[in-house]
Amino acid sequence: MTAVSKPQAQSPSPWARLRSSARNHRSITILAGWLIIAVGLPLIVLIPPLSTFQPQSLWIDGFSNAGVFILLAMGLNVVVGLAGLLDLGYAAFFAIGSYVYAFGASPFTATQIPFWPMLLVGALIAATLGLLLGAPTLRLRGDYLAIVTLGFGEIVPAVFLNASSFTKGTNGIGGIYKPTLFGFNFTLENPVPYYITMVAILAVTMVLLYRLQGSRLGRAWMAIREDELAAASSGINTITTKLLAFALGASTAGLAGVFATSKLTFVGPGQFGFQVSFTVLAMVVLGGMGNIWGVATGAFVIYTIQAVLLKELNQFFQAIHAPILQNIDFVQYQYLLYGIALVAMMLLRPEGLFPSSRRREELHVDSEDISDIPPPTEALGQ
Amino acid sequence: MTVNLPRFARPLGIGAVALIVEYLLLGTQQFANALTLGAIYALIALGYTMVYGIVELINFAHGDVFMVGSFLAMWIMTTIFGLTGPVTNLVNLVGLLAIVMLATMVGMGLIGAFIERVAYRPLRHAPRLAPLITAIGVSFILQNIIATAFGPSPVNFPQIVPADKFALMGARIAYLNLFIVIMAVVLMIALQVFIGRTRLGRAMRSTAQDREAAELMGVDINQTIAITFFIAAALAGAGGMVQGLYAGSIKFDLGFFVGLKAFTAAVLGGIGNTTGAAIGGFVIAFVEVYATVIGYTQWSEVAVFTVLILVLVFRPSGLLGQQLGERA
Amino acid sequence: MKYGKLGALGAAAVLVLSACSGSATTPPAASSGSGASSAPVGSAPASSGGAVTPGAWCVGGTVKIGTELPMSGGETANGVPTENGVELLVAQVNAAGGVAGCKLATNVQDDALNGVHDPQTGAKNMQTLVADASVMGVVGPFNSGVAEAEIPISNGAGLLMCSPANTANAVTQPPDGDQYRSAHPDKISYIRTATPDSIQGPSAADYLYKDLGKTSVYIIDDTETFGVGVGDSFEAEFKKLGGTVVKRDSAPKSTTDYTPLFTAAAAMNPQGVYLAGTTPTGMGLALKQGRTVSGMETIPFVGPDGVADLGPGGTQGATITIAGAAAANVYGTVGAAHDLASGSTFVADYTAKFGGAPGAYSAAAYACAQIIVASLTKAAATATDLASAREGVRANAVNSANTFTTALGTLSFDKYGDNTKPFISFYKTDMTAAGGKGDWVFVKQESFTDPNAP
Repeated sequence: MTAVSKPQAQSPSPWARLRSSARNHRSITILAGWLIIAVGLPLIVLIPPLSTFQPQSLWIDGFSNAGVFILLAMGLNVVVGLAGLLDLGYAAFFAIGSYVYAFGASPFTATQIPFWPMLLVGALIAATLGLLLGAPTLRLRGDYLAIVTLGFGEIVPAVFLNASSFTKGTNGIGGIYKPTLFGFNFTLENPVPYYITMVAILAVTMVLLYRLQGSRLGRAWMAIREDELAAASSGINTITTKLLAFALGASTAGLAGVFATSKLTFVGPGQFGFQVSFTVLAMVVLGGMGNIWGVATGAFVIYTIQAVLLKELNQFFQAIHAPILQNIDFVQYQYLLYGIALVAMMLLRPEGLFPSSRRREELHVDSEDISDIPPPTEALGQ
Repeated sequence: MTVNLPRFARPLGIGAVALIVEYLLLGTQQFANALTLGAIYALIALGYTMVYGIVELINFAHGDVFMVGSFLAMWIMTTIFGLTGPVTNLVNLVGLLAIVMLATMVGMGLIGAFIERVAYRPLRHAPRLAPLITAIGVSFILQNIIATAFGPSPVNFPQIVPADKFALMGARIAYLNLFIVIMAVVLMIALQVFIGRTRLGRAMRSTAQDREAAELMGVDINQTIAITFFIAAALAGAGGMVQGLYAGSIKFDLGFFVGLKAFTAAVLGGIGNTTGAAIGGFVIAFVEVYATVIGYTQWSEVAVFTVLILVLVFRPSGLLGQQLGERA
Repeated sequence: MKYGKLGALGAAAVLVLSACSGSATTPPAASSGSGASSAPVGSAPASSGGAVTPGAWCVGGTVKIGTELPMSGGETANGVPTENGVELLVAQVNAAGGVAGCKLATNVQDDALNGVHDPQTGAKNMQTLVADASVMGVVGPFNSGVAEAEIPISNGAGLLMCSPANTANAVTQPPDGDQYRSAHPDKISYIRTATPDSIQGPSAADYLYKDLGKTSVYIIDDTETFGVGVGDSFEAEFKKLGGTVVKRDSAPKSTTDYTPLFTAAAAMNPQGVYLAGTTPTGMGLALKQGRTVSGMETIPFVGPDGVADLGPGGTQGATITIAGAAAANVYGTVGAAHDLASGSTFVADYTAKFGGAPGAYSAAAYACAQIIVASLTKAAATATDLASAREGVRANAVNSANTFTTALGTLSFDKYGDNTKPFISFYKTDMTAAGGKGDWVFVKQESFTDPNAP
């Protein structure tokens, strides 16, 4: 099932050889890629058009925040892109990871468990809740699972809001402890340690995900995505396989939650609404479902649009003295512009910016679909 | 979305049992409240279920179409008719309500069909999640247009129906509640007749069941889908108008959560099933009101979604099941 | 988290009322009461184009006031009118020649993400403002949750924040408040103009129990930080007085129908209702729909300054406009003094500049900007560069020896950054006022001693 991409018949150029060796040593390539990114990004933002937006330290700080969403998108990609399970309540697991860290390391609970083991604990607890939710519901077909996850996504923040004696309710938990490493204290003034930590988490996660994707389990996910019935009759235990995808996606979100909370030092129930689940889903779809690098790029692009570009449009148009545009207050229209951008991007590239090679072929042969229900439109002329 | 008369028996039975249980648990006054709320949810849920039934799209912008409907009705009343307070002459009142509702429904229908044409039709052959993303994009756009046009604060909705009440079994019920429930039921019956008895309705049912086969039989698919969106948005528009009449003030972000709950109702009833959507709306409203009655208002949202999850786990195709039957 | 919202609105309304009485001629800009430089700041456009040459600290001839508010999506109504209050003062100060010859500008940050206020975005914005060396002080944030994520950053960097809206006790007061300023516990960086929840809620309970003589109450809150905060403190005080709370409900702002809630409460025959929340988060609708329920038609409804927005009928978004006839017999508390000594021209100035009535927190944001300007005026005498000017603003603003004359009256701040002389003014609706559209009328005011005073 692995040899999907078409054999490429060009004569081997140095570039092609590099590509093929990269394909053979994928983990090393990924680590090297992240090293280049980690060093390159802080340098790129020193170049004028970017450096005029904000100073380097702010860019680095923003990259750590973007990393949280990249992590979320990569986790959701396992669920939606690889296993084909539509999850509309993914923010619930992000919330669980965040609150787990808040319970483990804040004055509110008067405990201070170090950050690094909490990364694992957060991931494990989120995965456990993913299993608990998934076990009874994963036998539901396609969109019904989507609805159940949507409901779960609404329930979890509501529980954190209403169980106020355990969570401080609507006030949220503040003063959460920042990480320390061998006596070195992370501070809010210096964004670099968080940045390095985030890049390390991303690189390791991505290596693991690529390994998983190519493993027996990864192929089983894709088999289920393509045709659940056929997968089952080929001897795949579909329930266990789907559960693992769900748990893995949840654990990645838990990880992201622990990191984000340690950096923000605050957590409240209002941070995990449907908007978050939806934004992450948009990142996955826009990046190109199933393609891990594509999804990561999609997350980066959407986060940058939302958190940097739209917020800075005013300064930008004033800086370049754009006629008319510099007199419009874009801050108030950013939400509208975001909506238009989503619609436009989807209309222009419905398969995402970087569709996985497997999916690209599917789309060109016949519009196959991630769920087991074939799209009603296939082969219909206008 | 098929409607066969013999098959009415089961939904009607389930509906009747649900209503009796609701009545016994809530008492007359709260039962009237729940019915009114349920009628509004049902009108929105119908749109979700019709659109899903025919193009398998969870139309997340539908809640906002409902919201736009209430603003359109408000605009028609205040700007065109200059209404601000109660209309006491019964004939005038009924006439005005009918005209405003008709205008709102037609206007919203056109908006709904337009949204379909611009944001969903080009993606009909795209991966299934693509239109889901545009739907949310449309939701953002609609909210922002209204917030820009009418301001982000709550806006007054003219209360043209007098606040008079009548006594019924120990409770005092406003005529407005009665009007809302009757109107919703009339619209639902009209919809059933349209789907079950007309040529266009048959085209919709066949398209929902097998689009290729329907097209081979000469059904104009694009037109049929456009009409489905038209009707869905028109029903949401009617819902938006009665929401405005009932609540008296509207806000640009009121559609989102109502939409989520109505969508839940559609799933609860068995998505793709119009009768189920109506019953689902009443069930969701009942759960919410009952949570209030027993003193757990802040948990009502949790209750609604928990009920949803339980129903789906134990009865995956919803209360009434899909009339379409399993596909593939 | 946002008692302030109503406070500002209330204050604005108060300003309107006091304007009628013809008092108040003080210029709108604050002047630091504790002596020091008295460069004319604000109003007085007569002294236009002041010939003062800015000191060396004023790099480039312009310094900035940062604003950190939710400006987009569902929060537009919260942020934009509030931010306008700052813009108004900046325009006035510049027309008068700037601060010691240094012109002012704003650095506007929006903490709404996807249309909802977001602590993560707020934290990022605070980093941005800290990094902009020309920002002398920040007006904001609006929501307490955002403040809890931002104070650690501003405290670490020594940048003054003045919130026009936060009211949650935890933001400033121990034990939570101490954790937010753990980087520099001795150098607080956060002050707020609003009266904390712990004063406003109980004063409404006293009023309902003692003045109105009602012994049982139904409380409904909006699940937001402010609503829950005042609701809790109201409930505690009302019970302490010997009253009965027949029912307490929490209804999120997404609620579209409050009738079932009031129907259930009416069965327990409360003598009054406390609306713990704000009109935009559902309390306006709750008032309107609650009145239609049998048994609720005439009993008094009491609300905090989120309900007593002091906007007369006919004003867009105002409680009386939304509730209509249901607004009769409604009482409200506002966390500001009614008889303000200054700022009576605020509403007129605001309306002239922006073409609409001020928002609930516009006056408070204006007052915050006044405090920053007054502190900067004082700091300018000794500042040598942007960093020392910024630190001077912070030190002057949080110094409890300093008092500031602002659009909200005379303000000074205690060791936690809370107002040292919180006022509560009481209002009731009069449906015959404002030409039959209805309006809020002043009943009485009470001042409280600083609860944190040693």
